[in-house]
Amino acid sequence: MITSAPLWSVLVVPAVLAAFAAAAVAADALLAARAAGRPLRAAAAAGPLAEVPRLLAGQRRTTLAPDALLWRLGVLTVPAAGVLAALVIPFGDVTASRMSVGVVWFNAMEVLTWAGLWMAGWGANSALSLVGGYRFVAQGLAYELPLMFALIAAAAGAQSLNVADIAGAQSHLWFAVWMPAAFIVYLVSVWAFSFLGPFAYPAGRDLAGGVLAELSGVDRLALEAGRWLLLTAGAGMAVPLFLGGGTGPALPAWAWSAVKTLAVLALLVWARRRLPVLRADRYAELAWVVLIPLTVGQALVPALVDLTR
Amino acid sequence: MDLTRAMLRAGAARPHVLTVTMPGGTAVRLAAEEQLRRRGWPAAMTPADADVLLVAGDPAEPFAGVLAETWRAMPAPRARAHAARPGEVAAALEAARARLGDRSAQQALAAPAAGDGRDPHHDRDGAADGHEPGTGDGGHHGHEMGGESPGKMGGAAHRGHDMGGMNMGGMGGQDMGGMGMPGGLRMAGRGADRDGLRLDQLHVPLGPVLPDWPAGLVVHLTLQGDVVQRAEAQALGPGAGGSFWSEPWLRAAAGEPVTAGEAARRRAASHLDSLGRFLAVAGWDDAAAVARRFRDGALAGAPGSRLRPAVHRFARRVARSRTLAWLTCGLGVLMPDDAAAAGVRGPALRAAGDVTARYRAWCAELADAAAALDDGSPLGVAGPEPPRGPEDDTRAPSAGLLAALPGLLDGAELAAARLIIASLDPDLDEFPARAQASHDH
Repeated sequence: MITSAPLWSVLVVPAVLAAFAAAAVAADALLAARAAGRPLRAAAAAGPLAEVPRLLAGQRRTTLAPDALLWRLGVLTVPAAGVLAALVIPFGDVTASRMSVGVVWFNAMEVLTWAGLWMAGWGANSALSLVGGYRFVAQGLAYELPLMFALIAAAAGAQSLNVADIAGAQSHLWFAVWMPAAFIVYLVSVWAFSFLGPFAYPAGRDLAGGVLAELSGVDRLALEAGRWLLLTAGAGMAVPLFLGGGTGPALPAWAWSAVKTLAVLALLVWARRRLPVLRADRYAELAWVVLIPLTVGQALVPALVDLTR
Repeated sequence: MDLTRAMLRAGAARPHVLTVTMPGGTAVRLAAEEQLRRRGWPAAMTPADADVLLVAGDPAEPFAGVLAETWRAMPAPRARAHAARPGEVAAALEAARARLGDRSAQQALAAPAAGDGRDPHHDRDGAADGHEPGTGDGGHHGHEMGGESPGKMGGAAHRGHDMGGMNMGGMGGQDMGGMGMPGGLRMAGRGADRDGLRLDQLHVPLGPVLPDWPAGLVVHLTLQGDVVQRAEAQALGPGAGGSFWSEPWLRAAAGEPVTAGEAARRRAASHLDSLGRFLAVAGWDDAAAVARRFRDGALAGAPGSRLRPAVHRFARRVARSRTLAWLTCGLGVLMPDDAAAAGVRGPALRAAGDVTARYRAWCAELADAAAALDDGSPLGVAGPEPPRGPEDDTRAPSAGLLAALPGLLDGAELAAARLIIASLDPDLDEFPARAQASHDH
């Protein structure tokens, strides 16, 4: 039974989320070092974490005639959305918020990045940045509906929008097992809303960083960290939605949550390096022609199972 | 205060380096990329992301303004480095890192700029200004208004070639005189788009400071949304001393003894360099890193027996990637007739097709070249040809690539445009001093 933790636990959530995100960044750095033929040492893993002092000490720059309010607000929205989304994720048998509409909350927080990235792209008053911001909107049009149907499939399977109830409904069989399409679409969408890996289109190298192109100092840190916080929140959410939450033999519930979250993170970090960036125009076609019908069909499965129960 | 010092030092442990390659600076660029790869220092994508500005090769006159703008757009702490020869790269990077972590050096750097708001190194008459079509008036406002601090300056001078060619000063349509905007920018002009609607037009130069971009290339784009309406390619500065990639053939032509293996090695390295760029633009970072690692190995003289199987495996993996083919099919179709008319030779002509066909042609030729790395016979007529096609007296093969470019970019989206340019990868060092620019329509 998952219980609601006291209010102060809201402050713990960002710390736990950041710790998992740091682990993901370190693993990613090791994979990058392997591809570049560098020795796999602790220093290689810690490299990207040295970005934190670098960016904190770095100067915040501005551009000619920026929309400063939108720009800074957009940049801050992304990490904030990551942390807020994580509030409803149960860890072991506690959760910071046992919200009755947790799935909707998670979805809404993830959609905040639409606004955040668009504002971050617009505010800099720079063409590359602007194109980057719009690229995320185009990407959103492609990934969002399949993601929603995947979330609906999990919610329908448990007949609840409460994340704790969804985790509790999988004591016999994980949703990932009998809703594999929804699970896979969900994982792909985690890349998409954290604009990492094959979905790094809004921050693509071809745009010299896109939404990141004009950012330095703490602003860059906020947006870069926000991506990884979103990825981690997405990986964490996969555990109660599809992998049975904290249930498992021998280990305590919190340990199972941690192990499963790390496993999903590892999969996302490893697989992201095996693909080129999917341009939104090509992915939108796949999403609308294949993934939406697929996930609608997938959502029908738990609905029919519920009706016949 | 000690905290500042500690943070500076920690931040300087892994500086981001923005390399600007001068004409004829390919060998230095390659040395720099290898150094960065070995050290694990990230290559900066834009001045905003950069701590160190590394100038690779002998500074060329047309780049003076570009370098000043780039430097101005970099946030503090920052350091400049210059390597004229490949052997100087390591020392230049070390020295730059030392300055980056040194608080007094950073303060000294900031002081004059805080006084009059200008970079003391900047040539105010701006040699580059004459080279920046589309700058309009906005650019000069950039000089005059951001004087209070280096940071403000960095942003205000945000025009011309910095930011990978983002030029908000150039955003003003030339026909829109008098429409004022904060910052002295003008409103975007409008023009008919491909559906006959009148939409805003943005004049955006790509290059010369852009990651994974041919050195010295500037492509002036007229964009509506992210769709290219018009493109014009320009080469900044003449190549100095011939192209690094066709050097064995030039030496053979001059009568020096050159082995076929040496030529095959250079050709394989060139294709790996082009593939590395292309894969990086396509967002496949790991494959790009592998291509560059093999490129460095081939240039450093790694034994063919060790390199061959690895390069074969890599070429097969890239050529067979269905995802990559799905993403690039139908882009930038260059049919043999058009290619030959433009003067395209080499793999781009033989590929006779879209971006997919062109990178697959590189992969196939790469596998062939890798088989002949240790061939000791002298380079003859039957030996491997230069990576971008045979030289002849009239025009360099890259001049053909550049001539074909604008036609391929018309109507392409920005992402597709980058892929098309990367799939042609012209080498501007092939140009003799006379052929400076190639214009279309």
